[in-house]
Amino acid sequence: MIKKYRKVIQSIIFVGMFVVPLLNILEIYFIKGTFYSIDIGDIGIADPLAIFQAIISSRHINTTMFISVILPILLILLLGRVWCSWGCPYYFIVEGIDYLKKKLKIKNSKPSYDERLPHKTNFIRYGFLIIGILFMGISGIPLLNLISAPGIISSQALVLVKFHYLTFEIFFILILIILEFFYFRFWCRYFCPQGTFLSLFRWKKGLKVVKVKDDCSNCLSCIRACPMLLNPMREADNSLCHNCGDCIEVCPDNKKVDTLKFRM
Amino acid sequence: MSIKKFLQDFLNKNPFKGFYQVDRLRPPGAVEEKKFMELCIRCARCIEVCPYDSIKRADLFEKMQIGTPYIFARDRACYLCMKCPSVCPTGALDNNLVDAEKVKMGIAHIDQNRCLNYLYVKEEEGVISTGRAQICSTCYNVCPLQDKAIIMEKYILPVITEKCVGCGICVEKCPTEPKSVYITPSGMGNKDTAGFYYQRSKMSFKKSEEITDDYLKGDKLLQKKQNIQGEDKPKFKNNFKVQEKIEGW
Repeated sequence: MIKKYRKVIQSIIFVGMFVVPLLNILEIYFIKGTFYSIDIGDIGIADPLAIFQAIISSRHINTTMFISVILPILLILLLGRVWCSWGCPYYFIVEGIDYLKKKLKIKNSKPSYDERLPHKTNFIRYGFLIIGILFMGISGIPLLNLISAPGIISSQALVLVKFHYLTFEIFFILILIILEFFYFRFWCRYFCPQGTFLSLFRWKKGLKVVKVKDDCSNCLSCIRACPMLLNPMREADNSLCHNCGDCIEVCPDNKKVDTLKFRM
Repeated sequence: MSIKKFLQDFLNKNPFKGFYQVDRLRPPGAVEEKKFMELCIRCARCIEVCPYDSIKRADLFEKMQIGTPYIFARDRACYLCMKCPSVCPTGALDNNLVDAEKVKMGIAHIDQNRCLNYLYVKEEEGVISTGRAQICSTCYNVCPLQDKAIIMEKYILPVITEKCVGCGICVEKCPTEPKSVYITPSGMGNKDTAGFYYQRSKMSFKKSEEITDDYLKGDKLLQKKQNIQGEDKPKFKNNFKVQEKIEGW
């Protein structure tokens, strides 16, 4: 059920990415922008990392910058890192690749669960973010926006709809997609600076996966289903978790009595 | 010494900021280029709202500026509808800018050796003879700030004034090939490294200095003196200091 909702929302956002430029061509300016930053009516929403970079590199902050990060940060505090799993167009594409792999019967490259892996993953992705911010500081321009997967995909959709061509940035996405066939969700897990930055705002009291019942049938299907290679029964507090709800979807015990659930 | 200079050039000039080219403008309301590169998050909102498809997303040809908005005046100029400045989320475009006359994207410069109207006047005066003289005046007719940003001297020679906002419509519509009007973007790079307009104006300045150094004699001097009109102050080189004020006498 959760997966169904998630797919619907993801599809709406993915299609919306192409519809919004079309509306703007028809001079309906209600929604404008890309996933770097978007305006819905007069409400401004922006990628917190993009704004953070702009503040750092220009050493200057104005009210529009400040207001536009309020909503996304509130969303993360309440619902966790849902943008990644419920909204990000790159994640949608990656899940499509998983489905394609299953259909084409290509060997699944997903690594098996290891207790130490989440720590290693977190170390690499926070390290990458810090190095990225360091390089951004040296260059003095918002450099990490050049490797923002959702931003590039949405802006390329805009360029495609409006001018009927693509710019060079699409090669970055193509390379990521090709690599995705060999390395399971490596960009989202290890590198994506936007996702890593969002997970900094995760709040303990926000939405997370909780094992409500003490004992379960121990089938471990939730561990096998987790795209971030976590143990949903124990590691729900880990900042890697993006509340996709795949573990809740597959849990066989949930059908009889609540075992694994989203809780605030 | 040269190594020191190389290091100075290499380290002091940020290659990511200030990459300069004629006829390539930032959208209206853009802050100075260095600041712009810091603030622009490449969100493409200005590209999206532009109803004339003037603003384009920079590609790889624009080096590290990739993803930032540009107006390529030769393809499609800015029509000063002023929709883009208000949508910028970081203030890379000045959000409060509404008045089209206060935009400062750059300044146009007319190449007098190519402009059809200038050639026509030269032809008429007998300076050159091609036998193909045409009157064009397109730049004057399309200018959104007609008689402010561009004026017609002697009713035929187009002259750009400092009120020019640099929208580039004259560049887009100029019929000559190559174009005889250029926009030099403002706020990009410093004067020494800047492109066409600054270098050209520097050159012409030097030339005019050299000419005044020549001493005119005999008939030529008489001719020059006869040409002097009462309105303008004549420029003679004096070997004594001209007293500006009468005080102190």
